[in-house]
Amino acid sequence: MSHTGPTTATLPVTEPGDRTAPLLSLRDLRVHFRTERGVVHAVDGVNLDIADGETVGLVGETGSGKTVTARSLIRLLPSPPAIYVGGQALFRPRTACGQCAGSGCAKCHGAGYVPEPCQVCAGAGCEGCQHTGRHTLDMLKVSGRVLRTIRGNNIAMIFQDPNKALNPNLSVRKQLAEVFSEHRAGELLRDAGLEHEAGALLRRSASGRSSFLERRTLDLGPLRSRHRRLEAVIDEHIAGALADTHVPNPKKIMHRFPHELSGGMKQRVMIALALACGPDLLIADEPTTALDVTIQARILDLIAELQERRRVAVLYISHDLSIVRQISDRVAVLYAGRLAEVGPTERLFEDPLHPYTRGLLAAIPAFGQRRGELVPIEGTVPELVDPPPCCRFHSRCPHAAPACRHVEPELHARPSIQSHEAACFLYEQADALGVDARDMPSMGESGPPAPRVGEPSADEEP
Amino acid sequence: MHALRVRLRRLARLSRAVLRNPSASAGLVVIVLMLLMAVFAPLLVEANTPDPYQMPRDWAAINAPPGTPGHPLGTTPEGGDVLYGIVWGSRLSVRLALTVASITLAVGITLGSLAGSIGGRWDEYIMRVVDVFMSIPELILALAIAGILGPSFRNIILALAVVGWTQYARVIRGEILKVKQKEYVDSARIIGETPLRVYLRNVLPNSLTPIIVIATLDMGKIVLVGATLSFIGLAETGLAEWGNVVSAGQQGVVAGRWWVATFGGAMVFLWALAFNMLGDGLRDVLDPRVEGR
Repeated sequence: MSHTGPTTATLPVTEPGDRTAPLLSLRDLRVHFRTERGVVHAVDGVNLDIADGETVGLVGETGSGKTVTARSLIRLLPSPPAIYVGGQALFRPRTACGQCAGSGCAKCHGAGYVPEPCQVCAGAGCEGCQHTGRHTLDMLKVSGRVLRTIRGNNIAMIFQDPNKALNPNLSVRKQLAEVFSEHRAGELLRDAGLEHEAGALLRRSASGRSSFLERRTLDLGPLRSRHRRLEAVIDEHIAGALADTHVPNPKKIMHRFPHELSGGMKQRVMIALALACGPDLLIADEPTTALDVTIQARILDLIAELQERRRVAVLYISHDLSIVRQISDRVAVLYAGRLAEVGPTERLFEDPLHPYTRGLLAAIPAFGQRRGELVPIEGTVPELVDPPPCCRFHSRCPHAAPACRHVEPELHARPSIQSHEAACFLYEQADALGVDARDMPSMGESGPPAPRVGEPSADEEP
Repeated sequence: MHALRVRLRRLARLSRAVLRNPSASAGLVVIVLMLLMAVFAPLLVEANTPDPYQMPRDWAAINAPPGTPGHPLGTTPEGGDVLYGIVWGSRLSVRLALTVASITLAVGITLGSLAGSIGGRWDEYIMRVVDVFMSIPELILALAIAGILGPSFRNIILALAVVGWTQYARVIRGEILKVKQKEYVDSARIIGETPLRVYLRNVLPNSLTPIIVIATLDMGKIVLVGATLSFIGLAETGLAEWGNVVSAGQQGVVAGRWWVATFGGAMVFLWALAFNMLGDGLRDVLDPRVEGR
């Protein structure tokens, strides 16, 4: 969170590829869906930064836009109906450290990776890289070709249900070979010692483009021994990736089909698949929801371990607050397509600012708690079809005041703790907004929600 | 290779399941017998020269009843040998079914895939054409096309191919729309595969199951409709084809010469029945909703 807001050309840049520039910056991200009932504002102005190696937990209830946010930054939403209305998803890839080639040294602070300097200004800072000096790509605008080189290579994703996320018709080996072929074809040839002697057929085979006939040719012809070598290297890569996720006996498992594996094993394979190319960012979309609790804990440990080892940044999407508290460095709370609160995990859990976050935390069942002691949040999530400008939470908020119903609050840090931000008028001054002070909410009035009769509310049909 | 072994095992399990189904295995037996008859036609009945697909005419034995020496199943009013028509007709039926099915499958899968995976405007165009084709009864449309092209067996093939692709296009499109939503397709895209590769490796192979059943059922229907067209007279006269044989015996039925139409018709009936039984059996085996019964 060290680099935000507008900057000028005179901003001093210390070294090529500013280390402190975030890996990913979502800037006013807006993703809408065109439906028959109107335009659904699924994500409506989300600002979020993720630093190298950081774990950010994205929490919110069903329909709050968590998955849409995550998927939009790799353009995985079907469009139409999704429309990327505005904003930016700035991604700044890393490259392997030149000094230690990824093993970690003093120069790269043990990460094995260094920021990739901007290709236009070589780190001096220009408009293109927003004066960060880091190579910057707007994921919403890059071409399909660039996007495909990023997917699986720089940004990877694991899905909720491992039972559905593996192709039932392909063996584990075939699915893993795909990643290496797609992004590491040159490396495969080099490791097989075929850099200079590989013909078109072998090159095509390394990049996974061989047709059935080509493979038979490679099997029969004089190229057979070279092809064998290439296949052995691919096997080694795959076995390595599987071993990293503690799959027992990877050489055997990789020939299995998904239906021959258990759920936990499949999720390990999924993680191996995602981390195969050493991505900079891993998007984990509720990766443990479909698993039972004992396996859940092991998968979480695995993600944490791999993250520690590879310094991968993780965007962890979940509605399970206890898991998020356990693994995240920072937490972002999403409500109805807008961020309600962002802050360091411990601060946010101990001193939540936004009334919605407080409500969420009060609704977590604790051990030994008796029936009736849980406090639910009254009301339901508002409709997101053409919402009027207002605080999205006002209809359920115990502190709601007139200002909340007509003005949209922005994320602002509290003066005391810069990194803890909330989008709530409780922490703002009336004159800054140009609103009458009597219309502002205050902490004192924490009775039942204000009557909503006759008020324009977000859940009204357009 | 483990992968190969798994595939073989899967195939073995599938065929065992088909064979356990009595009607499917009965259908399969009939189909195999028909195929054997087509393959070994020259050994069963000596080929006519110069064109083996023309029935030989024996003007000395017109309307001979079954059991006549040299004509075990009798002859037509033109002296055509019924057995010859049936045995060599099986070749034409196999050719008809295979050609039409492969053309319609290729066209249907291609157009259905385009509609399903590209979607948008192309989806509209293709599916409206399909709607137009499907709004006209298949037999009438095939009749019209074959009639315009003139009477010949090849034109019957052509007419059936033009008519038959629509159902495949529609089913494939629906399957693709369904499979496209699956998470493993997303996970293939997130790896960085090109859209074409995602389609060829992940979407299409997982969309083909229902097509297998429909194609099997279709093989029976194609021969039925083809025989109908040739019965009406849209094939060459005297062609050794089942529909043609039935047509030759049509007049005689009233006069008590039952054998020509009966044997010809029985072949069409058996063929269509066999493929329907196999198709239904396959549906039971392949459809996950009825699995585990």
